[in-house]
Amino acid sequence: MKKPIIVDNTIRIPSQEEFLPDVDSFIEGILRGFGTDETTIADIAICVTELVNNSIIHGNKSDPDKEVAVEIGKTDSVVEITITDEGTGFDIEHLESPIDEQNLLKEVGRGIFIVRSLMDRVDVKFLKDGTRVTIAKKI
Amino acid sequence: MNLTDFIKDGVAVLQPKGKIMGGPDATILHEKLHECVENGNKKVIIDLAKVEWMNSTGLGILISGLTTMRNNGGELKLANVTDKIQSLLTITKLVTVFEAHDSVDEAIASF
Repeated sequence: MKKPIIVDNTIRIPSQEEFLPDVDSFIEGILRGFGTDETTIADIAICVTELVNNSIIHGNKSDPDKEVAVEIGKTDSVVEITITDEGTGFDIEHLESPIDEQNLLKEVGRGIFIVRSLMDRVDVKFLKDGTRVTIAKKI
Repeated sequence: MNLTDFIKDGVAVLQPKGKIMGGPDATILHEKLHECVENGNKKVIIDLAKVEWMNSTGLGILISGLTTMRNNGGELKLANVTDKIQSLLTITKLVTVFEAHDSVDEAIASF
């Protein structure tokens, strides 16, 4: 069975949700090394697991032969994390609002809304062979 | 995430512990909620005191539990909502959907 691979500041996982805790541990460990406070670590961990979930399920359609890569870095006091999958992406500007009255009881559809609420910056880039989401937050 | 549960005064109390982020861990809570319905427990409390954080998968499970209980004539309430989860409930306006109490005993007494 394929397993997560960590090289420097990047973790690559097969597209299976069982590897989410590996991504979380990796990201939280590096953030603690940066001296990040626990509240900010939780915010970033929520967003990273949110986006990796999206990449696994919607991007790579849970195909274990496809990978999700998560890379973390810091410039000055800003942490930047990129999540790259092999899917065709999504239109971040035309998602239904989960806080509209008629959507409040839906079980899904809050992920990107939460990420945009908790992070300082969210960018989506469509690549030739995948989608890359970059999030950034001042720590 | 780990999950313990018990019955007190006829109310099923579920106590997840850790992080609710999706994958197999989240399935455990989802299945336990449906087990409550199958066992005829119409009063359920989820005690969030030991949940470090959850993402939208966790919120989706709470919503699923709430609607499942209500569709079966029951009710699901929250207890000991941490600051982190409270902020998520506020951001997503789910604070208007869930009834939350400061303790399990208070939540039980509210039924």
